Amino acid sequence: MIQRLSYAFRETIASFRRNMTLSVAAVITSAVSLLLVGTTFLIQRAFDNLLTQWRGDVGMIVFVRPDVTPEALGFIKQNLESQPNVIDVKKLEYLDKTQSFAEAQRVFAGDPTTLSLLSIETIPSQFKVVPKTTDPELVRSLANQYRTLPGVAGVSLAEDEFDVISTLSGFVRTVTIGMSLVLLAVAVILIWNTIRTAIFARRREIEVMKLVGATDWFIRVPFILEGLIQGLAGALVSCAGLWGLNSAWTSGVAGFKSGTGVSALVVPGSYVNGVMIALLVIGAVAGGVGSGVASSKFLDV
Amino acid sequence: MGAPPIPALIARLVYFMIRLENVSKMYGSELPAVRDASFDVPKGEFVFLVGPSGSGKSTLLRLMNRQERPERGNVWVAGRNINEMANSQIPFLRRTMGNVFQDYKLLPNKTVFENVAFALEVIGKPKHVIGQQVPQVLDLVGLSGKEDRFPHQLSGGEQQRVSIARAFVNRPLILLADEPTGNLDPATGEGIMGLLDAINRTGTTIVMATHDHRVVNAMRRRVIQLDRGVIVRDQERGVYE
Repeated sequence: MIQRLSYAFRETIASFRRNMTLSVAAVITSAVSLLLVGTTFLIQRAFDNLLTQWRGDVGMIVFVRPDVTPEALGFIKQNLESQPNVIDVKKLEYLDKTQSFAEAQRVFAGDPTTLSLLSIETIPSQFKVVPKTTDPELVRSLANQYRTLPGVAGVSLAEDEFDVISTLSGFVRTVTIGMSLVLLAVAVILIWNTIRTAIFARRREIEVMKLVGATDWFIRVPFILEGLIQGLAGALVSCAGLWGLNSAWTSGVAGFKSGTGVSALVVPGSYVNGVMIALLVIGAVAGGVGSGVASSKFLDV
Repeated sequence: MGAPPIPALIARLVYFMIRLENVSKMYGSELPAVRDASFDVPKGEFVFLVGPSGSGKSTLLRLMNRQERPERGNVWVAGRNINEMANSQIPFLRRTMGNVFQDYKLLPNKTVFENVAFALEVIGKPKHVIGQQVPQVLDLVGLSGKEDRFPHQLSGGEQQRVSIARAFVNRPLILLADEPTGNLDPATGEGIMGLLDAINRTGTTIVMATHDHRVVNAMRRRVIQLDRGVIVRDQERGVYE
C-alpha cells in the first residue's frame, strides 16, 4: 500500500515537472477564479451585515430608550398595533436588549469604537415594523408621529438607510457569481487539458502498463492526484490573495468615521477562515473531477 | 454462449492454454482481418503464426490478450472465455501472459533494471520480490552486468532481451511474441530464438507471429499459416512454405 502511494506521488511530481507551463497556467486560472468566488462570499457577507437590521421586509425601526418604563413600552406597542392598515401587525417584532446587543455586534463589526461604547445596559431595544402599505409618505408620517412618544429614542426608515445599497448588493452578487462560475469552468477545462497532455506524453508507458496488467485505477490515480493538487495549489494561492484583500479592506474601513454605516462592511475573521476552507474544498474537488473525467476518457482499455 | 459443462472446463484448463472457436474480426467495412479461425494451443506448446504482412497474425495475438474483441466466435485463455470477462478482470488476465514486440516497447528514460522492474511494480509486487526476481531474469536472458544501461546504449538484440525479460519476469503461463526477430540480423535472431526456446522448456506456452523463414524452418515446431485472415494450414513440426 505504502509502495503504491509512493509510486503515485513520484509519478505525480514527475508529470508536474514535465508539463510545467500548462500546470502553472491551470494553477493560476483556478487561483483567480477561486479568488473571485471568495471575494463574492465576502462582499455578500459585508452587505448582509449592513442589511442585517432590515432583513425580512422591515421598513421602519422604532428604537426604545434603554431606561423605558414598562408602561411606556406597553403604550408604544399598543400604538403600533392600533395601525393594522399601515402596519403588518402579525410581523411586528420586538428585540429586547440582549437581542439588540447581539445584532449590534454584526452591524458595528468594523467599528470597534462604537462597539466598545455599547453594553447590554445602555443599548436601546427595538420594534421592527413591516409596513403593509406601499406608500412611503404614509410610513414617513407615521414615523414622525412615533418620534414624539415617550420612551422612544428614535425612528429609522429603511428608505433612508439602504435602498441604494440593497440594489447594489443584488447587482454585485449576480455579476460576481456569474464571473466566478465562468472562470471556475475555465479552470476545470485547463486542468482537464493538462491531464490530457500528460496522458499523451506518457502514452507509451501507459500502453506497457496495460499490457503487463496494471489496473485502470493504478494508472489513473497519479493523474487524478495531479489535477487535485493543481486545484488545491490554485486554492492556496487564492486564499493568500483573499486574506490580503480582506486585511487591506478592513484597515481601510477603519479609517472611516464611526457611525457612517461603512463600518458594517467588515467581515469577521472567523467568516474569512470559513470561506478559505470552502475555497480549498472547491479547488480540490474541481481539480479532482476535471482530471478524473479526463483520465477515464483518455485511458480506455 | 453459456458456460461449458464443468468437465469440459477442466479439460480445457488442464490441456488447452488457448482455444479459438470460429473467431472473426473486422476492422470497419474492410475485408475481415481474421475469418472463422479455430484452433487449440495445448499447454506448453510453441506455435508459429506465419503469413505475409496483413494476413491477420498480429490481430490473432491481439485477440488473445483482449486488446481486440472478435465480432464473432469465442477466445478461451486458461479455461476462461475472455470475451465474456468484465473489463475490470482484464488486467488480471494479462498478468498471466507476457508480450514481446518487434519494436521492443522499452521505456527510454528507464534503465534495463527499471524497465523489467516496472512490470512487477505496476502490479503491486513488493520491493524485496522485485529485488530478487529482476536480477534472476536478467541473468536468464544474459544481461547480467548491464542493469544500469539505458535502452539506447544497447544493441537491438540486447533490447529485445530486456523486453523478453520484462515479459517473463512474472513467470506467465503464456508468452505472445509479435515478430520478435523482425528488426534483428540472422545471428542475433537466432540467439533470441534460443532464449524463447529455453523459456518454452520451462513450461510456458508460446505463440509467435513471424514471417522469418529461417527461424521457422530451424525450429520445426507447429505452424499455423494465414492468408488474408483465413487459416490455410495447421501443421505439427512444420516449415515455412
